[in-house]
Amino acid sequence: MKEWNEYPDGWVWLGQILLVGAGIAAVVLLVRLLWRVATPYLAERPALDRPLGIAGGVVAIIGALLPWVTFVLNDGPYPDKATLQFFDSPWALSGFRLHTLIIGVLAIAVVFLPLPRRRVLRALGWGSIGIALVNILFPIIDGGGFGAITSDGESFAFGGIATLIAAVLLVFAAKAGGVLEPIPHWKSAVPTLVAYAVLVVSFVVLLLVVAMLLNSGGQGGVGNPYAGPIFLSLLAFLAGVLGALHAIGLTTWISALSDKHKWFSVIVLLVVALALPFTEAGTDYWMTTAANIGVYAATAIGLNIVVGLAGLLDLGYVAFLGIGAFVAANFSGAAAAAVGIELPFVVAALIAAVVAGIFGAVVGSPTLRVRGDYLAIVTLAFGEIFKKAAQNNIGGLTGGANAIPNVPPVSAFGQPFDQPLTIGSVELPSGVLYYVLIIVLVALVMVVFANLKNARIGRAWIAIREDEDAARAMGIKTGQAKILAFLIGAMLAGLAGAVFAHKTSTVAYDSFQFIESVTLLAAVILGGMGSIPGAVLGAALLLVLPEKLREFADYRLMLFGLALVLIMRFRPQGLVPDRHRRAELANEGAEGVPIEELNVHDDTPGDSKAVTR
Amino acid sequence: MLTRIVRTKAEKGHHVRNQTVKAAVLVAGALLLAACGTNKTESGSGGGNNNQSCDQSKGTLVIGVIAPQSGGLSALGLGIKNSASLAADQANEKCVVPGYKLQVQTEDDQATAQVGAQAATRLSSNANVVGVVGTLNSSVAQSVQPILKGKNIVQVSPANTNPSLTRGAEYGTAPKRQFETYFRVCATDDLQGPFAAKYLVGKAGKKSIAIITDGKTYGEGLAAEFKKQAEKDGAKIVATAKVGEKDTDFSGVIGTISGSKPDAVYYGGEYPQAGPLSKQLKDAGLDIPVMGGDGIYDGKYIELGGKEGDLATSVGAPTDTLETAKAFVSAYKAKAYKDDFSAYGAFSYDATNAIIGALAKTLSGGDWSDAKRADLIKNVQSYSAEGATGEVKFDEYGDSTNKLLTVYKVSGGKWVADETGTFGG
Amino acid sequence: MATLLQQLINGLVLGGLIALIALGYTMVYGIIQLINFAHGEVFMVGGFASLATYRYFLPPSWRSDWWLALPLMAIGGAVVAVVLAVVMERFAYRPLRNAPRLAPLITALGVSVILKEVVRLGYPGATAPVPFPRAFVDQQYRFEFFDGTVSIGSTAILMIVVSIIGAIVLQTYISRSRMGRAMRATAQDPDTARLMGVNPNRTIVLTFTIGGALAGLAGVLYGIHITNVDTEVGFLYGIFAFTAAVLGGVGSIKGAVIGGFAIGLIKTLSGQYFPGGTQYDLVWIFVLLIVVLVFRPQGLFGEPERVRA
Repeated sequence: MKEWNEYPDGWVWLGQILLVGAGIAAVVLLVRLLWRVATPYLAERPALDRPLGIAGGVVAIIGALLPWVTFVLNDGPYPDKATLQFFDSPWALSGFRLHTLIIGVLAIAVVFLPLPRRRVLRALGWGSIGIALVNILFPIIDGGGFGAITSDGESFAFGGIATLIAAVLLVFAAKAGGVLEPIPHWKSAVPTLVAYAVLVVSFVVLLLVVAMLLNSGGQGGVGNPYAGPIFLSLLAFLAGVLGALHAIGLTTWISALSDKHKWFSVIVLLVVALALPFTEAGTDYWMTTAANIGVYAATAIGLNIVVGLAGLLDLGYVAFLGIGAFVAANFSGAAAAAVGIELPFVVAALIAAVVAGIFGAVVGSPTLRVRGDYLAIVTLAFGEIFKKAAQNNIGGLTGGANAIPNVPPVSAFGQPFDQPLTIGSVELPSGVLYYVLIIVLVALVMVVFANLKNARIGRAWIAIREDEDAARAMGIKTGQAKILAFLIGAMLAGLAGAVFAHKTSTVAYDSFQFIESVTLLAAVILGGMGSIPGAVLGAALLLVLPEKLREFADYRLMLFGLALVLIMRFRPQGLVPDRHRRAELANEGAEGVPIEELNVHDDTPGDSKAVTR
Repeated sequence: MLTRIVRTKAEKGHHVRNQTVKAAVLVAGALLLAACGTNKTESGSGGGNNNQSCDQSKGTLVIGVIAPQSGGLSALGLGIKNSASLAADQANEKCVVPGYKLQVQTEDDQATAQVGAQAATRLSSNANVVGVVGTLNSSVAQSVQPILKGKNIVQVSPANTNPSLTRGAEYGTAPKRQFETYFRVCATDDLQGPFAAKYLVGKAGKKSIAIITDGKTYGEGLAAEFKKQAEKDGAKIVATAKVGEKDTDFSGVIGTISGSKPDAVYYGGEYPQAGPLSKQLKDAGLDIPVMGGDGIYDGKYIELGGKEGDLATSVGAPTDTLETAKAFVSAYKAKAYKDDFSAYGAFSYDATNAIIGALAKTLSGGDWSDAKRADLIKNVQSYSAEGATGEVKFDEYGDSTNKLLTVYKVSGGKWVADETGTFGG
Repeated sequence: MATLLQQLINGLVLGGLIALIALGYTMVYGIIQLINFAHGEVFMVGGFASLATYRYFLPPSWRSDWWLALPLMAIGGAVVAVVLAVVMERFAYRPLRNAPRLAPLITALGVSVILKEVVRLGYPGATAPVPFPRAFVDQQYRFEFFDGTVSIGSTAILMIVVSIIGAIVLQTYISRSRMGRAMRATAQDPDTARLMGVNPNRTIVLTFTIGGALAGLAGVLYGIHITNVDTEVGFLYGIFAFTAAVLGGVGSIKGAVIGGFAIGLIKTLSGQYFPGGTQYDLVWIFVLLIVVLVFRPQGLFGEPERVRA
């Protein structure tokens, strides 16, 4: 081992850091300069969008065909035959090279179509920037250095750089003329059958895309060291394509259709979710992960009532999940359970929900007097008190440091839920029953949430969130409403906790740490506060991303933090913002079009945007 | 505000048709080009195969490692990972498993049960995973055990000391094997704790002892077993206290025990807190020895404030008398890993070797298949070899038969073996 | 009696540390209503930076003289902490000035995770606690008091002294100086302050600078007092400090200091005298907090929350 505490190593190290910092700053400044110069130039020349788009498309196609990596990396060959030379096998492109090719072809095609081409080009451009960056950075960092993506003296690989240039051309093409075209509005008054067909097709496509995403790069591990970049690159491609579809108005149309045929969409979505085990993502691993996502999603929806609807910040919410889990574990017949009785799962789950709900009301009671961020610390304190109590085996109910192990799996009709299920000749992976159970639970929780939100109490919560004093003046019993929010939210979390106990088969105090509360809160905010699909999407992202990024084991937590920062930076209103909140929070017009795109451009945040807090 | 590109109707219609056709042809062509074509394969061999002297034609078999790789406990987890890789690399060099290349796949469990369960499921759905080394935390083990058992995958833990993992909740009176797939190479709390008590009360003659724990599974279990034996041997436990899991300022805790004037402290926990605790005890005027389990038997303990005369128990014969242990340490150093092998590195090395050794016996030149898993478990059960921590062998519950323990003492800024023996009941 | 005095001293030392960190929390909250969760990590980074100053930058011959090494370590720690705090403000929080209220909170949590992991991965040996030099400024003083011996270390005295002096200087600066007035004005009403010629961005940067410097200083003091530093301490003391700031009333300098000392004292005294002992000391802190907030929702010295437009 190198002797590291020797003067003057520090200065060398500091110099290196400063050098790297200066390098990054230089690149950033250069990019900004280019942006500053190019944007006004292009804004005055709308006619440039076509040539730039074609050029970008052509360069992207060339980039796809060029080799991307000069040599075989340490961990084995980079995927998709990245080292093959130009035209060694132009017809057998796969993976990210195929995606780049498709983007290039689409870019050229869209230029000649009567579509909002700048919008489409912009989406494709950002998508290919993502693809290029992932597949440039990874070979560099994986021990290849810059030689890996340029030249190692013998062979050349400029595919990545060409694609990056193509991507920049595409983004610039979108800047020509300065203004983006409006998103075309598609008629949503179509025959019901057509609408049904469109919805079924789009949800099935969604299912297949999800399955493809989950399975991209295989299960990873030593057999497939590049599963991480494959996944990220696919994500960038899909984002680009989705953006393009949004640009031509397709996604807005589909969402309008699904709004119109709400019940049909919900049923199709449920069926599609239940069909996931039959796709390529139907493995033990993804079923287990999906069930975990479900537990967190149900809890996040509960938290959404408290934070999203009633506007009460809660930093210790995981405690309710824990209370539910401990209650269920105690009634499960596990050897270490303090309560000797074994109750059927459904009964135990209901008791768990009730107990968690009572605690929710207790925790909520200071809200009668404590407001805002002060409340946040009270909830944080409660979370810590719960953890301490569980760790010290309070009342002999939590097993203390030994936890409550060997909680038996839920079973119904003699079928334990942790075993594989065979229906006829189809064998489904183990964990599939938990998946189904959790899907049902999430659906149930969603129904509860949706009904509450649109009921009198939901409107009361929203009123409290917007202005508590005004709400009180309007005759809303704010204290009752706030405690009710805590109570119902905690009940949902307790219900999820019951599933958690059986599924994880052990309930230990260290499963309910502060970071889990942060993850839950992040799921709610990431998805969009007050929005039901948002909470599910947020929970899914926050659990799937770390699983897909297992290849970066050491860096997992850091990437999690980085993702939080970036998402809040670029989409503070969340991914699927609640419709009512869109206008108030995100500077968006009622149609969901960002105001920024309506050409009210304001480059100096913090100065003059009128925002209601 | 919104600009539109205005065109005459006729012009637009004309263009549209023309361009649509063009674009359609383009797209179709490109998709055709992409879809069909030759399948020329990539030149160049796979990387990483630095040693081609062994036959590795049958592919790769994977040994999974489940341990924390990020967050606060990663020092221990990284040591476990590196030591397992070391064992696999050595086996590859020596062609221990003919026909196969062995590789270690590490999964982060973030020291929590549910992430551990996901890691175990991920490993268990890979048919090439022959066995799993892990976990670090007993609570994670509880969630991993049933998953691996469901797939008949052998698991050898380098660090779980909770006796109930192998012998059930009634481990003292009515032991019952919990999982036939689960083994461990480390000593359980009910061996280490009493052994330490015998030494501290009997040999060192300390009669009023304070017990401090960190509230975690390892420390609590160890301290409970220590307490039972110490009281049986006639010592008085004058004070018990708990430090916060991440606490670093122990002055308050020390204040609570100092009134009862203990002549020794038994600490149930790990070195990152034990070292500073020992120093702060001394600063507060309590210059009494601190004793702990294998969790504090680490060079870092002394760097962090462990003082002369402090004691620790660890499994096996003293490392400096054991050739295998010295070989492990020098091999680990030669690999120049970024992280130290830490408290459980040697155990992890032994655990990995137990799986590899049993695998070699199971296959004996044959091919790996799911059907071999039962044999592999049997062979781990009957495995016996001299490892870096002494004899590696398992009893009918899956516990290590190596009941040899050594007491180490800090002396001259180093851990020095003081007494070796077995705990006789 | 000796035990009581000893625990009082222990509580004051811990309280001084918490107070120093809490000042940063309370100032930032006072001016932009942001719970800067990453502030605890700034403290942690300050500790590591001062250690790095000692290990990697000081010539060996300077290391043994504490009057030379200690100020340089403090400068190293404070400079890095200030740079970090300002960079954080500029790139993570400023773009979110007008975002929904919870967005900067999540960003702060994200930044906190990033900082912890960067140090863990980047600093040699930081996966476990890293020992601090303890050859110098580590003198223990012992004296008899009624029925026993009470001991206090030189670093402990330093901790109490620095935190009190720091708070007094800060209070004077804020109440007397021009920039202090600008800070108070911005905290009260950013728009009017701007009209009055106060540059809000500069004021906010100044707030982060002061907070960062105090956290960096706390990092150094922590390091030489505890004689090690690890990546987890930021979170632990961050929570304590945040609690102290809320207890005292966020936005109030006096409140943060008194809150800090109160929490330090409760932690040590409840561990000694309350049922449950040290395992429940954290619980008592939070129980007190909840009780105080129920009766004084704005904290001990906070101003009642104004209705914001």
